[in-house]
Parts: sequence; structure tokens; C-alpha cells
Amino acid sequence: MPTPGPSPKPHIEVENLEVNFGAVPAVRGVSFSVAPGDQLTLLGPSGCGKTTTLRAIAGLEKPIGGEIRIDGVPMYSSARQINIPAEKRGLSMVFQSYAIWPHMTVFENVAYGLRVRRASSTEIAEKVDHALGMVQMRAFAGRRASQLSGGQQQRVALARAFVFSPSVLLFDEPLSNLDAKLRGDMRLELRELQHRLGITSVYVTHDLEEALAMSDRIVVMRDGLVEQVGTPDEIYGLPRSAFVADFVGSANLIRGRHRADLSKDGLVALETAGGQVIYGTAYGRPVGAELTMSVRTVHLQICAAPPPGAPNVWPVRVEKTVFQGDFSQLHVLWGDQHLVVRCAAMEPVPAGSDVYMTVEPRRVVLLAAEAAASA
Amino acid sequence: MTDFIKGRLTRRALLQGATALPLVGIAAPAVLAQGMSKSPNKVLDFLTNADVAKAEQEGQLVFYCHENEAGTAGIMEGFHNDFPKIKTSYVRAQTGALYSKILAERQAGRFDVDVIQLSDLSPAFDFQKKGGYEHYESPESTGYKKDNLSSPNGYFFWTGVDPAGIAYNSEKLTGAAPKEWKDILDPRWKGKISCKISASGLQFVQWYALRKIYGDGFWKEFAKLQPHALDSRVQLFDRLAKGDDMITAVGEYPAYILFKSKGAKVEFVAPPDGLVATPLVVGAVNKAPHPEASKLFVDWAMSKRGQAWYQTNPNLYYGSVRTDAPPMPTGVKLSDFKLLYPNDWDEYASQQAAYLKEWNGILGL
Amino acid sequence: MQKLAGYGVAAVAAVLVLYPVFYLLQAAFDTGDPVARPPTEYGVDNFAAVLNYPQILLNTLTVSFAATLMALVIGFVMAWILARTNVPGRRVFEQLMVVPYYLTPLLGALAWSMLGQPESGFINQVWRALGGSEHIIDVNTAYGIAWVMALFEGSVAFVMIAAVMKSMDPSLEEASQVMGASRLRTMLRVTLPLVIPGILGAAIFVFAEMLGSFAVALVLGLPSRYYVITTAIYQFVQQYPPRIQLAAAMGVSLFAVMFVMLFLYRWVVTSGSYATITGKAFRPRVADVGRLRYVLFAICVLYLLAAVALPLATLLFASVQKIAVAFPGADNFTLGNFSAAMSMNAARSALSNSLILGFATATLGVPLMGLLAWLIYRSRLPGAGLIEYVVMFPQAVPRLVFAFGMMWAWVVFPIPIYGTMWLLLIAYLTVFLPLGVRTISGVMLQIDKSLEECAQMCGASWTFRTRTVTIPLLWPGLIAAWLLLFIASIRELGASILLMGAHSKVITPTIVESYFGTASELTATLALIQTLVIAAAMIVLVAFTRRVGAHPVE
Repeated sequence: MPTPGPSPKPHIEVENLEVNFGAVPAVRGVSFSVAPGDQLTLLGPSGCGKTTTLRAIAGLEKPIGGEIRIDGVPMYSSARQINIPAEKRGLSMVFQSYAIWPHMTVFENVAYGLRVRRASSTEIAEKVDHALGMVQMRAFAGRRASQLSGGQQQRVALARAFVFSPSVLLFDEPLSNLDAKLRGDMRLELRELQHRLGITSVYVTHDLEEALAMSDRIVVMRDGLVEQVGTPDEIYGLPRSAFVADFVGSANLIRGRHRADLSKDGLVALETAGGQVIYGTAYGRPVGAELTMSVRTVHLQICAAPPPGAPNVWPVRVEKTVFQGDFSQLHVLWGDQHLVVRCAAMEPVPAGSDVYMTVEPRRVVLLAAEAAASA
Repeated sequence: MTDFIKGRLTRRALLQGATALPLVGIAAPAVLAQGMSKSPNKVLDFLTNADVAKAEQEGQLVFYCHENEAGTAGIMEGFHNDFPKIKTSYVRAQTGALYSKILAERQAGRFDVDVIQLSDLSPAFDFQKKGGYEHYESPESTGYKKDNLSSPNGYFFWTGVDPAGIAYNSEKLTGAAPKEWKDILDPRWKGKISCKISASGLQFVQWYALRKIYGDGFWKEFAKLQPHALDSRVQLFDRLAKGDDMITAVGEYPAYILFKSKGAKVEFVAPPDGLVATPLVVGAVNKAPHPEASKLFVDWAMSKRGQAWYQTNPNLYYGSVRTDAPPMPTGVKLSDFKLLYPNDWDEYASQQAAYLKEWNGILGL
Repeated sequence: MQKLAGYGVAAVAAVLVLYPVFYLLQAAFDTGDPVARPPTEYGVDNFAAVLNYPQILLNTLTVSFAATLMALVIGFVMAWILARTNVPGRRVFEQLMVVPYYLTPLLGALAWSMLGQPESGFINQVWRALGGSEHIIDVNTAYGIAWVMALFEGSVAFVMIAAVMKSMDPSLEEASQVMGASRLRTMLRVTLPLVIPGILGAAIFVFAEMLGSFAVALVLGLPSRYYVITTAIYQFVQQYPPRIQLAAAMGVSLFAVMFVMLFLYRWVVTSGSYATITGKAFRPRVADVGRLRYVLFAICVLYLLAAVALPLATLLFASVQKIAVAFPGADNFTLGNFSAAMSMNAARSALSNSLILGFATATLGVPLMGLLAWLIYRSRLPGAGLIEYVVMFPQAVPRLVFAFGMMWAWVVFPIPIYGTMWLLLIAYLTVFLPLGVRTISGVMLQIDKSLEECAQMCGASWTFRTRTVTIPLLWPGLIAAWLLLFIASIRELGASILLMGAHSKVITPTIVESYFGTASELTATLALIQTLVIAAAMIVLVAFTRRVGAHPVE
């Protein structure tokens, strides 16, 4: 889906990237671009190739095909036989394990990149102090790096990564080793930091919440290939395939025949094997004879009485209620299919009740046919 | 160096060379009177043609010797005492191994050796043929019979004789004591008798001599006793003294004297047929790193002074063949013993391959 | 720069290792005139000649099997006691377990020859004094030799088996016990089957080592005509004329067998489906054995007695006597041996040469092997895997055989280094490649790759980051490797004994020569002096690595 407005010239471009891990193809043809100042997140389950892609951009893995350009300059090109070593690409990276050097102080850790660039000691002192201030680690400057806690190490790693003002920052699951509370806080801080510095970032994570909260654009990957590229809204609201639908939030998949004869108001009618009819929105995707639609569990609504004039209303039976604190998960029988409904726990609905279920047609998303076939 | 690498010791080559050499014992006329163009100096109490000052300037002597550690060190000690300015260093290995070593080194282009002492004439002949010895006629040669010098003179000389009989541990011995050579074949010695390894010159002489007297079957009988083979007489007597072996077929007289004086319960038997004996030959080496020192050493070793040292040092106790040598410390003169030498050294040398084959076989190799 | 260093050091390693092997093979297949170089004809006659010595081959196998078995038993029992029970003093014992290996097997052999010879052995003298007849042990037999080999070369088995035990997840056993199985049943049904692949690996490795063992067979086997392949090769080379081709063929046969064994070892260890070796180090569950632990304590002490205390005491005892006996009279004592030993210029020069060589080997070896370790395990340069095989190659070749190849190879080298210290230095660097590379890579692999990658991402060139990140992190491991190489040089025998020259004597072969050429009391004295030097170096090593936390990997 094209984003509105004129697209700025991309800062990072990845074209048909192929990387092997030993003999195994880890990345099998991935393409995307990152606009300047944006955060692009590579999201996917473990083994999907997101870290390998990131490391290929960094220059720590050697691809076997494709091209990587930064600011239009090729860093790697299989066609033109270019492969610039990592230390010369001018990028910066925060590692999952933080990679803090235990034999140096915090100050020395952060100063490293400046020393490599032969900055003067006044410049180093000034910049390191500033960087440490931005991550609230000024007080620890003289501390031995091996004496820091996980969270503290993370901040130092961050400071070290941007102290020499790189134009691109790469993040390899930087928050996954922190506990949940800390993770939440750090997420916001990171986001803010990036905005303040105006750095373009590529971020790798398997955590959905993180990706949705922080990214300007998300690339969902599976098995070395791109499933979908888009903004968080697009990925969440308009999944292209069953995989994306189910990975990004919980979804119910509904398959059936296209009932062209029942179309109205531009909506697409689907009839399940059990005879239920549901109206959904095509969103420009091709409408074939066999369709799959995705409905998020949160968009299904349970009500005691059928709302008037709604195109999607059915009587359903509640089979099971699972209390989950902030919400409850209801398993309902809809025709011959089981659906999952997530609703706020304000009104517990006991199992065995007969209720009505409704959903807005715009929330019923038609999945792209080719992607659906591979689901 | 070229004469070295291509040289090959074949029986035929040796015989050819041998016929070219005047046989030892049939003396070439007055070799000794010829060829001394310089007039010798007197240093200490002996004569030398070496430049003593230069030798001391060279400051070192490298000695390759077949003797055991203490013996070799002993020889060097004697020389060093007389010439303190010359530092000595040595390598010791049993004659066969020693000879292999020096040949390999020379083939590799390393000439580190000044003087070499061997306990077997066979490799000495070979070395002479290969041009390994420096030709140097010592003014002290006058003290020696022609039989005890190389032919022609100037390559090596007999610095001593190592006679050996039978020896046994008097405490551990069971039954009657051995009296003659045949007694060493007694089956009761099985697993308890020792001899020398095949690289030993003395062992070669014994093999040759007893075979000549008693026939080819002698050593085949000996093989049945599964003898223990030792590298040096010290190790051999060490085991004998401690009782690890009951009896030895090669009881060297010098070792017997030494161990007896240490209090070991060992006895010596001089068989009526005679004691087997091998000459111990010293010669200066060609292309030596310290040529003057090596000549000086040869003169020293040949002199009465040097010979006295060889005879009296407890680690050596050699019998001297110098015509004017005094008796050994035990009062015995070498001529008091009946010594079994090969008559024909060249025939002896030609038997080496046969000896090695049989002896290695006896030792399980 | 990276490529230059990497390929440069790979080339050096390749030359060091392959040059002698080539000549070894050439000599083995040379069926022409032994004196002619290069060879005039090639054939397999030499290998056929090897078959003329079936007794030697049999002896080698017998001794190696017996020694491996004994070493495994000792290793397993000790590993069990020290890793799984609450015997008192565990930490101390663990450290002491490797002492016999560092004290040379030569020393053990010398001591045990004094203890166990049928007539003169101290133990037998005591036995007879107590009223026994003949002798109770004879160390000059195959089993005597195997016993000494197991004692002194077998602590490698302990280290390997202990490592296996430590890497086993204790929850596997706990599961068994929770279900009601007795301790014994758990051990037989759960523990034992799980550690068997590790033990199998250790067995193969130890067997390969025993095949190439030299020192013990030399001291204990030679006088009683019991030859194994290594000592036979030594004899053949020492003879005049030397039987080079036969020796080479024997050497190649031996190394072929060892090569297969090591291949087998790798296969067993890496393809094990017993996924208990997860790479994480567990704290194995320590069982409380109650009163039994005093018995176990006694067993540990007994082992150390047999392997350390007794041999040292024996040598000391012998060195102060004129003629060493078990019950010396008052007039049999002397300090003369010590003064004689120190005045023997062979001993003095040998000791100083050994120290100098040890220093040189360690100082040159650490950078060389460090670079090689980096090349093999960290760089992505193509061909790195091949270099690993080249570097580990000397492991498969008995030291003596390798030295034989070197002797034969460097004799024809245009620069005359034969018989000099340079040749020994080259030899040491070559045969210690596996040891050094393994030690350093062990430490290197513990360093997270990301530490170096991060330096890369900060823009540091290879030299900059090696200097500022890699080397400081490796430092304790490098020091440990230095000390290991130093000690290994001083105790080296198999290679040195063939390559020593007049001016390049080193201590351990000198002790051997002394054994063959002097009285045993003097030899004992020399051995003691050498031990003191090694002990001093070892104490430094243990103290240092304990403090810094690095582990001296075997």
C-alpha cells in the first residue's frame, strides 16, 4: 500500500538480498527501503532471517546476491562485485548482548568510536559526556564496565553507538534481555532518542508490541522472505496474508466461497462451508472464487440483542470463557466454526449462553489471494 | 664435502680400498721417519706440532666419544686441567650411533667436531677412507708400535685397549662360577645375562673372535639365553652390581675395577682363551672448527702424560699400548693379559654387515 | 592486513608441518640406496619389511590397550570421586591430578624402574625382607610398562572424563531418583549410558596417545628387549648403519593408525546423539557418601602417592646413595652425586639450553599460535578449515616419528641448521602447534564474537581492534599458553632426542642418555634437578591461572 505524500529519497535500500548461513539459505530475496530519519523494524519469528538481514546491512555477513545501498552508495553489490568491510560503512550498531568491553571503563567504552576516528581529547571528553548525559549514565563514567547491571550496560551500549554521530543505527533485539517492566520504559526512551538525534534506524525484534510502538514502517519476515511491508496501522489493520494476520495480533481466519450474488454496498460476501455468510471489505485485493478473510478477535462484539441494520449479525453460543485480567477471551461456536472473541472484562458472559455476535464489515479484511494460498 | 655424500660402504669397495692400503701388521717402511717438516715444540712434558698459543686462542675443543658420560667427561677433564684456557664440550654415543651421527652431520654441511674417539677399528678405517680424519703426524707417534697407529700414520692411533672377560655378581650367583668362554652358554643364565648393544665396537670384536674360535653355532646358542643388551659398561655393571643381571658376557676390566672399588659384589673371570679386546682409537677430524686445539689434543692424548691420565682415571682405566707405559693402577700391565684381537683387521671390518644382522637378530631387532 | 597476517601465518604452519611429513613419506617409500638423496627408487618393500617384526607390532598394541584400560579406570574412578562425591579436599585434588603429566613420564619411568625391577627394585627388596620370595612386581614386563604409562600419561583421561561429567545436566539423574530409583540403579541406568560417548571419545584419544608413547617404553622396555614401535624406530636410527627406510615405514604405519583413531574420536564426539553435552557447564550434583568419603579420600591419596610422592621420594632416596639399595648402610650415603651432576658440563649446558629454548618457544609460539587460532576460529578467510587440519596434524604423529621426518628433512636444507638450537626451536614450535592453538582457541571462543564485531561497527580496523579489544581480553589465556609451552619444551623428549646436537643439548634427553651411560644414582639426581625446574614453573602457572580465572586446557 503506498504511503500518502511524496516519498523522500531513501536512505537505506536493500534489493533482492540473499544470504546463506553456512549451506542454509537464511535470506532468500528480500527488498525494502528506509526513508531518512525513519525507524524500520524487521519483525518475525526466530529463524525468519531478520537478524541475518541486519548483519548483512552492517557488513558482518557476506550475502550471496543482491545489493545494499546507503545514501545511494552501494555497500554491497553482487553484480558489481562490491563488498565494503563493516568498519568502513560508517554505520553503528547496538548488539543484543550489549557487547560492553569488560576491560575498559564506561567512559572508554563510549569513547572508542571517537578514538578510532582520532578525535582530540577535548572533543572526546565533550561528546562522551553529552552522550552519557542523554542516557542518564553520567555518574558512571569512571566505573569499570564489568560492574554494570543489564539495563545500565544497555544504556552505555546506546551511548557508544551514537556518540560519533552516525547517520544510521542498527539495533539487534536490544531489549530482549531486559525484564518486561524495564523493556517498556526503554522502548519509549529509545524512540525519543532517535527522534531527537534524527537518526535513521533499522531495528530487529520478534516482539510485536515493540515493533508496533516504535516503528515508522515494519517489514514482516518469514523463512527468509518478506511477507508484508507497511506502517504499523497497515500491518495491523490490513494484513495481506494469514501469517501476518495471525502473527500481528490475534485473528480469526474465515474461509469460504465468494457469493457475488449477495454483494451490496461494495462489500464482499463470503459463505462458509457451514452456511454462514459474512460481509467483508476487499481493500483493493483481488476477489477470487475461494476467499479467506481475517477478523481480529477484538473487533468481534458480543451483544445480548442483535443491533438493527448491521450487515454482520449472527446468533452464537459461548462455549468457554477464559478470564485474562484486562480482558476475557470467549470461544464461540459460529455455525460449525469456532471463533475467538476478545472483550473487555466488564461484563462476564457465562459459558453456554446464547448471544449475538456482530462485526463491522470494514474490520473483516480480505486477504491477498496468493498469500492466502501459502498460509 | 663431495667425497662424503657419494661414498658408500660396500663390501666390495672396502676390499678394494683395503687392498690399496698396506695391511696393518705388514708395516710400510719407516713411515714414522718421514714427513715431519716442522720441528716440534715442547709444552708441559710432551712434544707437539700444534701452535699452542693459537690453540688457546681458539679456546674450545669439541670431542665426540663412544665412552659413557663419566668417562668422556673424565677425558675432557684431563685435557682441560692441563690447558685451562681451552673449554671442552663433548657428545657421547655408542660407537655405531656416534659414527652415524658424524656422517649425517657432515652430509648436512655441519663440521662441528674437532676430535673423535671410537671403540672399533671398522668405522675408523671407513672414516679414513672418506677423508674424515685430518692427516696429522704427531711427534709423540714415536712412542707407539706401527700396529697401533693408522696406516699410513697420521690419521688415528690406539689411545688404549679395553679388555673384557666374564664378570658375575658373587652374591646372586647360583651354582659353580664360570671359568671359560663356553660357560656363558649355560642355559641357567637364561634371562639373567647381559651383553652390549650392536653399536658397540667391543661387542663386534667379541662376536668375531669367539666365532672364529668356537664356530658359527656359538652365538646361535647364546641367542637362546635372551640376553639384555646395554649401551655402556657403566649401565651394565650397575645392573650387575644390583643383581638385575647375574652374569655378563662382556665384563670390561676397567668397569670391574671401578665398581669393585665402590664396594659392589662383582667378580672378574679371565678365560684361558684370552680376553676380547678392542682398540680405542683417537683421531683429529678434517675441517675441524678448532684445528690447532685438535692437534694439541692428539699430541696430549698420545703423550706419556695423556696416557697416564687415560690409565689412571677411575672412569677410564684403559690399558695403554704406549711402549713405555707403566702398569695400570691395579699393578697389571696390558701385556699380562692374553688378548684376543682379530689378526686381519680388514677381514674383520668386512664382516660388519654379517655381525649386525646376527646381533640385531639376537636382540630382537 | 588481515589477509596478510592470516595467510602468512597459515603458510608458516603449513611449511612447519608438511615439510617433515613429506620427507618422512619419501623415506618410507624409498627402496633404493639408503645413502642416495634424493631417492633412486620407490616401492612398498619397506612396509613389507615392517611385517618381519610382528612381535614389535604386537607389543605396541598390547601395551597400548593395557595402558588405555588402566588409564580409563583410574580416570573414571578419580573423575567420579572428585566430581560427584563430597570427598574432602576436592579442589586441591583436582589441581593435583594433572601434576603427574607435567612431571615427565620419563621421571616416572626412572623412579618405577628403581622401585620395580625384579632384583634391585626397592619394592621387591622390601618384599624379600618381609619374607617373600623372588619378586612381587616386575616393572619390565608389558603390564609394568602399561602401568607406568597409565599413571603418568593417563591424567589426560581424567581431564576428559571429568569434563564429560561436568557437562551433564544433573536434572536427568534427579528425574530418575524422583521416580524412586536407587543411587546405584541411577548410576547404572542413567549416568553411565549418558557418559559413555564421552568416555569412548576419551578412550580413543588416550589409545592414540599411548600408541605414540616413548619415554616409558624406552626406560623400562629396552633393557629387557621389549620393543614397541617408537623405541624400535629409535634403535634403528641409532644403529650403524642406520636403518632409515625401515624406521620411516614403521613410523608412517604408526601414524596412519593414530590418524584413523583421531578421526574416529572426532566422529564419536561430534556426532553424538547423546545431547547432554550442551556446552553449558553445569554444577553436577554432588552425592553425600557418608563414611565412604574417607575411603575415597584414601584412594585419591593413594593415587597421588603412586604417581607423585613415591617416584619423587624414590629418586631422592637413590640420589643420595652411592649404590642405591632399599636398605642402605650408613656408609652408603653421599652428596657426591649432586656435585657430579652439576659439574657434568652436559647437565649444565643442557639445563641452560632447555631454559633458553623454553623461553624462545613460548615467546615465539604464543603470537604464532594466537594468530593461527584467530585464523581458524574467528576469521572468515576461505581455507581456514583446512588450516585447522594442518595445525592439528602433529597430534596424530608420535613426536619421535615427527622428529624423524624433521631430521631427514632438514639435513638436506641448504641452510645448515641441523644439529643446532634453531632446529630444536622449529621442532618444538611444530609439535606444540596443537597444544598451543587448542589452549588459545579455548579462551578465544569464550570471548563473545560481538565484542569484536562491535569494535568493527565503531569503525576500528583489524589491527586497531586486535590491539585494543582482542588481545586485552585474551591476555590471561595468552599467559597461560605461554607457561604451558614453556613447561612442554622443558619436558620434551621424543623430538629432542633425535635432533639434539653437540651444542644443542637439552635436559630431558640428557637424562635419558645419562640413564644409558651412567650410574642410575646420577641419573636420579639429574631427574630431580629437572623436576625442580618444572615444579617451579608449574607452581607459577597454577597460581597465575587460578588468580586470573583462565583454565589451562589440556
